[in-house]
Amino acid sequence: MNKPILECNGIAAGYVKGLNILQGIDLVVSEGEIISIIGPNGAGKSTLLKAIMGLINVSAGRFFINGVDKTNLSTHKIINEGIGYVPQVENVFPSLTIEENLEIGAWSLAKNRKSSITKVLNDFPLLNERKKEKAGNLSGGQRQILALARALVTSPNLLLLDEPSAGLSPVAINEVFKTINEINEKNVSILLVEQNAKRALKFSNRGYVLDQGRNAYQGEGEELLNDPRVVDLYLGKL
Amino acid sequence: MIDQLGNGLLLGIIISVASVALSLLYGVTRIVNFAHGEIIALGAIVTLFFSGPIDSRVLFLERFSPLGMSFVTSAIIGIIFCGVFGGLLELLLFRPLRKAEVGNIAVLVVTIGLSIFIRHLYLLFATGRVQNFPLDLERRQTYLFFEMTPRNFKVLIAGLIVMIVIGLFLTFTRMGKAMRAVRDSGELASVSGINSDSIILFTWISSSMLAGLAGIFQAIINDVRYNMGFLILLLIFAGTVLGGIGTSFGAMVGGLLIGIFVQVSVALPFMEGHTEAKNAVALAIMILILLFRPQGIFGQKERIS
Repeated sequence: MNKPILECNGIAAGYVKGLNILQGIDLVVSEGEIISIIGPNGAGKSTLLKAIMGLINVSAGRFFINGVDKTNLSTHKIINEGIGYVPQVENVFPSLTIEENLEIGAWSLAKNRKSSITKVLNDFPLLNERKKEKAGNLSGGQRQILALARALVTSPNLLLLDEPSAGLSPVAINEVFKTINEINEKNVSILLVEQNAKRALKFSNRGYVLDQGRNAYQGEGEELLNDPRVVDLYLGKL
Repeated sequence: MIDQLGNGLLLGIIISVASVALSLLYGVTRIVNFAHGEIIALGAIVTLFFSGPIDSRVLFLERFSPLGMSFVTSAIIGIIFCGVFGGLLELLLFRPLRKAEVGNIAVLVVTIGLSIFIRHLYLLFATGRVQNFPLDLERRQTYLFFEMTPRNFKVLIAGLIVMIVIGLFLTFTRMGKAMRAVRDSGELASVSGINSDSIILFTWISSSMLAGLAGIFQAIINDVRYNMGFLILLLIFAGTVLGGIGTSFGAMVGGLLIGIFVQVSVALPFMEGHTEAKNAVALAIMILILLFRPQGIFGQKERIS
C-alpha cells in the first residue's frame, strides 16, 4: 500500500457546539488514490471535508497529514500542507477575472507564483483563452474547471472535491470527471464526495459509505458497487 | 445652477470618499456600519483637537489643551487615529462577535448602539458647539466653470486623487485583490490560503482612515460638530446603494452623484424657499434609479449556474 497522505481517526465534528454531525469517522487516503465518499443526504459527507479543512471545529478525533497531527489547524494554513479543496458552492470568486482567481489560488506560495499560474493556464487552454474575463460569467461546468485549476496552482498532493458534478449538464459532468482523472494521473490523490454514487464508485480505487455521521461500509469501488447491502441502501437496483 | 454644481461636486467628493469606505467595509465584512458617521466625525474632531490654537476654547478645553500643531500634521494624526480606532473596533468588538457567530441583524443593531454611544461621548467631551478649523479665510476664485475657494478646490482635487489611488489599489495590488476575494467569499479565500481575519482587520483600518479623511474634508468645507457624520450618513448610504452596494467603484460614482443631486436640487424652481428639503430630491432620484436598475449603477447581475 502506498504511503498515507491523510488519516482521519475517530473524527467528531459539527456546526453547532455539542451537536456533532460526524460521530467518529475513520478514513485513509494514500498517495495516488481516488477515494469516494458516498451516502444519503445528511450522512456528513461534505461536513467531513469541511472538518478536514478546518472550516468547522473538530471536537474529538485526530487528523494526520503525512503522518503529522494537524487537527484543528487554521483553514488558511492547511493549503501549506499540500491539500487543495474545491467546495460545492461558491467555488470561484465571481467578481474576479479568471487570472485573478488563479492569483488568489497562488496566495500561499512564497515564490514562483507567476510561473505556477502560467503552468495551470497552459494545462487548461479554455481558461487561458478567457483569462481576462470575470469568473461570474462562466457556465457551471467552466466554473468547476476554474475551481479545480485554482486548487491546483499550489501543486497539492491531495484534492478534496465536494460534489463536483452537482447541478451540471451530462456533457459538463463528463468533462469534469475527465479533468479529475487527468489530475489524478499526475499523482494527485483525490478525495471525492459525490451524490452520483454509481459513477463515483466506478471512478474510484476505494470508497467509504457514511450513514448518520458514521462509517457504514468501506471497500474497493467495484466491490461496494456490487455489495447488496450498499445497493439496497443507497444505489437502488443496478 | 453652475454654482450649485460646484457645491455638489464638493459635497459629492466627501460622500464619495465616505461611501467607498462604507462599501469596502460592507463588502469584506458584510457589516452595515451605522457608526461610520462617528468615525467620520472622529477624523475632524481629532484634527481640530491637535490643530486648535492654544488660547481658544475649543474641544476638550475644559480638560485638555489643544496642541496648536500645524493643520496638515493634525490631519495626518486624525487619519491615523481613525485607523487605530477602526482596528480596535474590529479586534475588541466585531471579531469576537463574528467568532461567536452573531447574526448580521444583531451586528447591525450593535453598530446603531455604538453610533449613539460614541456620538453622545463626543457631545459630553467635545460639547455641542460648532467649531471651525483654525484656517485663514479665503476669497472664492474661478476654476473652469466653478467658483470656490482655493482650499475647497484642493479638497476636490485631493478627493479625486484618493479615489484614483483606491481604484488602482483594489485593481492591481495583491492586497486589493485579496480584499475583493474575501468580499466574494471569505470561506473560499481562507481555503486558498488567505488569512481572512487579517484582511478584515486591514479593511477596518483602511475604511476608518478613509472615513476620517472624509470627515476632515467635510470640516474644511463646512465646520466641525459632534454629529457631523450622522448628519450625512443617510446620504452616504444612498451613495453606496446607488453605486451598487459592495462595489467600491460604484460607491465612488454613487457618492458623487448624490452630492450633485443634493446641491443642484436647490436650484430647481419649486425648491425656492425650501432648501432644507434638498436631501428629499436627491433621495427620490436615487429611488427612481434603483427602480430601473435594482443592482445599482455598477452592481452586476450575476450568472446563476
